Amino acid sequence: MPDRIVIKKKVPFCPGCGHTVVTNALAEALQRLNVDPLDVVVVSDIGCCGMVDGVLAYHTVHGLHGRSTALALGIALGLDTPDKKVIAIQGDGGATIGLQHLLEAARQNVDMTLIVHNNMVYGMTGGQISGLTSQAFKAERMPESRAIPPFDVCALAHHAGAALSTRAFIGDKVADLLEEAVRVPGFALVEIVEMCPAHGVDKVRDLHAMTAHEAATFTNARPTLRIRPRPTASFFDTLPRITQRFEATLQRPLAVVIAGSAGEGVQGAGDVLAYAGAASGLQTTKKGAFPVTVGSGFSVAEVILSRNPIHYTGIESPDVMIVVSEDGLGAAKHRIGPGTALLMDASLTPPPGKEAVLADFRKTAGKKGAALAAVAYWLGTHDVMPLAGLEAAATHHKHADKLLATIESAGRLVNGVLQHP
Amino acid sequence: MRPDENNVVFTDGSRLIIEALTRAGARVFIGYPITPANRLYAYANERFPLFLAAPDEISALQWAAGFSATGAFPVTATSFPGFALMLETLNMAFMMELPMVIVLAQRMGPSTGSATTGAQGDLLLLRGAISGGYTLPVFCPADFDDCWTLAAQSVDTALRLRTPVVLLTSKEMIMTNRSFDMAHLAPVHALAYDAYEGNGRFAPYAAAEAGAPPFLPVGQARHQVRLNASTHGDSGLIRKATPEALANTRRLQEKIERRVAEFGLYDYDTVPGADILIVTYGITAGAAREAISRLRSDGVPVALLVVKTLLPTPPALFHIFDQYGRLIFVEENLNGAFRSLCFGNGAGGRVRAVNKIGHMVTPSEIIEEVASCQTVS
Repeated sequence: MPDRIVIKKKVPFCPGCGHTVVTNALAEALQRLNVDPLDVVVVSDIGCCGMVDGVLAYHTVHGLHGRSTALALGIALGLDTPDKKVIAIQGDGGATIGLQHLLEAARQNVDMTLIVHNNMVYGMTGGQISGLTSQAFKAERMPESRAIPPFDVCALAHHAGAALSTRAFIGDKVADLLEEAVRVPGFALVEIVEMCPAHGVDKVRDLHAMTAHEAATFTNARPTLRIRPRPTASFFDTLPRITQRFEATLQRPLAVVIAGSAGEGVQGAGDVLAYAGAASGLQTTKKGAFPVTVGSGFSVAEVILSRNPIHYTGIESPDVMIVVSEDGLGAAKHRIGPGTALLMDASLTPPPGKEAVLADFRKTAGKKGAALAAVAYWLGTHDVMPLAGLEAAATHHKHADKLLATIESAGRLVNGVLQHP
Repeated sequence: MRPDENNVVFTDGSRLIIEALTRAGARVFIGYPITPANRLYAYANERFPLFLAAPDEISALQWAAGFSATGAFPVTATSFPGFALMLETLNMAFMMELPMVIVLAQRMGPSTGSATTGAQGDLLLLRGAISGGYTLPVFCPADFDDCWTLAAQSVDTALRLRTPVVLLTSKEMIMTNRSFDMAHLAPVHALAYDAYEGNGRFAPYAAAEAGAPPFLPVGQARHQVRLNASTHGDSGLIRKATPEALANTRRLQEKIERRVAEFGLYDYDTVPGADILIVTYGITAGAAREAISRLRSDGVPVALLVVKTLLPTPPALFHIFDQYGRLIFVEENLNGAFRSLCFGNGAGGRVRAVNKIGHMVTPSEIIEEVASCQTVS
């Protein structure tokens, strides 16, 4: 039976290396659990311990330094069955660089096992210290760092939510611990404090004196993460169809810029206008421009209405500019061209030399309704498409009642005042 | 969809990309939110059978690779800052030959730059993304139809060539809404990997004729599977530069180069008498199409090449270039990424450019450059 688990090849580790002991203990544990080798996936890290693949009869995946836990998490969730045993293997260096992955796997309590070979050094690159290296060890190797304590990776995993986290020393019953770790549902971490004959502690009996943390076992009674595919609806089924119920009178393409403040319904007004155009038989586009902030600063919506296909969704020179706040004016005023008709809230002052129509959009429709009220007002006073198209578009909005009231309020506005420069 | 039904909707490109990816067989979306890719994340959460929120982009792509190793096709979407974190894992997936799609939504850099400003600045990063200069397939949608077809094409190429594929887009494609008739969208069929059917010993990286090896997921009970991010031979076990391992490494490039004809996509539109060719891709193609339309209606014969497969660059493009006295590369970046990819730094006077950052290139700017070419010639 053992040859089904470990291929009879010489292990690729130095004589006296702790990795050999742990590899044999893992094979013994899996054999005791009567697990079929092809139900096991070992995900190995970079470093000496990552050379183990060749002696294993399991599926093996050899990834990147510190990432084996994250890669194994994806495999465990992809397989998503307790029959499959996913085991990540890394050293203390891998645990340090991949600490976030380790904590995340523990937090999510993914059904997998992580073996951390803690020999306190980076063996492959010459014995440098890791985040798990004890102060006693550093006092000899790197005295300037001796005041910095090591991570207690078991305690960290426990506090993150691991089902099981346990620390043992070479010479302890490692196979028993690994058997329990593989058996237990959820995330199990086994840290094994080891000797490294090339660069670290080379005698088992010296390990206790050189490590910061004694053997320990922690458990959390938590549900194991399981993910199941869910039925979802195609966008073909959920996207509302636009029925042409109105007839636009617009002949040549019209480029509209709506400028206001973020959080005040500017993008929504642009969407409703574009949707209304489509319901009136036009091709329409709407693109937004805004800073990275969500509820502050300017917000500009650009809408193009055309009888023909629209290739370019930008606006070189607006035919109409609707401005409903100071933020909007600041963001858009440089784009006012000689042919731009300007419609503004009455609280604003047109830029020097610019003619504008002013009306009380903010007072009438409130700050969040001003942009749509201005759009409705403008449609009501120009020959583009029926205002009923805008109302029909608003009924698709999640705040349809408010939008319809806003559009209606625009109808109560007396004719705007044309302000000459 | 039935052609007699009304299928006009108001949508952005993100929805079309996500819908086509799922129809093509993508199963799991693993994301970390970043502007301007957020709509892709949000729609994927509504549409994908499996959706996972990763704590960072390194985790996101590692998890994706894990799913891919089990045969579940993964997708993620990000922008440069997140993509930078994914680079090492992208190399891992390329070396392990794990199919996946990364939608890269470009925004203006350098660094975090401006998250809500579009750009076309990441192409040369992709050209050099794989250590050693290996080719990572990159598709770039120029309109909403492309969002649909190239999303499906990305899954197809990823599966056929067993490689990560980047769908390169930008803010203006995936956040701009438009009225759109879905009736003419071609059906997208679910795709699957080429599975190993044999009963003999399975060598995970043994491939016929320098192609992609047949796939078996880890965890299945028929054959042992070994995947490896380090240099390896057919067995999937780590090897130094042995002849077998080097042959396997060379195959990673050859499998993509040999099949470029299958997925080297572009739109070429020429008219009699044209000696100027406008070359563009992605979000700038709309301005170029508008410019062409205006120029031709004014009687100026100009040709247009909109490139959809940016990497590997289809060899056919160079035959097209040869037919024109003037080439104008139009891109929303400072230095002309695709132009330098095609012509290096020694383009000479024949190869001109319209470049811009911070705002979309306008049709007028392209028309001005065409006029200046005519003045010179």
